Amino acid sequence: MKSRFLFSHKYKPFGWILFLAGLIFGVLFLIFDFEIPALEVQVFPLFGDNGFLSGVEAFHWGGNNITDEIATLLIVVGGILVAFSKTKDEDEYISIIRMESLIWATYVNYIVLIIATLLVFNLSFFNVMIVNMFTVLVFFILRFHYVLYKSKKMAGDE
Amino acid sequence: MYCTNQKKWQVMNNNLKVERAIQNMTQARLAEIIGVSRQTINAMELNKYVPSTVLALKISKVFDKSVNEIFFLDKGD
Repeated sequence: MKSRFLFSHKYKPFGWILFLAGLIFGVLFLIFDFEIPALEVQVFPLFGDNGFLSGVEAFHWGGNNITDEIATLLIVVGGILVAFSKTKDEDEYISIIRMESLIWATYVNYIVLIIATLLVFNLSFFNVMIVNMFTVLVFFILRFHYVLYKSKKMAGDE
Repeated sequence: MYCTNQKKWQVMNNNLKVERAIQNMTQARLAEIIGVSRQTINAMELNKYVPSTVLALKISKVFDKSVNEIFFLDKGD
């Protein structure tokens, strides 16, 4: 069966490297406010924000540390490559596992978001939204690889 | 009459395992011949996965039997 929209298997290891590097930087940033000083660059914001916490003007060059932006891109690009690169022996049964895992991950992602909506408020909810950007990919990757591992193990026991 | 009977035959079954045994063929070998993963063969034998028509035809070719001799409808539990 032709599996459309999937990347070649060779991108998978590359995806893992980006994804894990992004996760490490992202977690360090979220928990310890870790920033790489060398990543202090000029950015060109499309939207301004005139809150009292920070004045960012739209369409004006301004300084910003892009550690978090880099981490976001690494997680998203790496995560997409890990999730949607073909397995070594991608076939119709694995495509079904893939689709079911995607449905499962979407449900779990939004169940978690509903619970967070009911229990987390104000600025803390901002953190929930940050994490929620990535959780659908994370849940999918965990579920898909777990089910693959389980079915592979069962076939191996034959 | 035909319609009411049809509802009772809901589950697809197969004697893939028997056919493999006759040919003395492992799951891995069959998977290799038809170009699928070993999980797929295993899942089919456990009736956890209903193969596509293409896959069923490929399997029937390997065992040189018609598809109906390997895959058949069975009464649901």
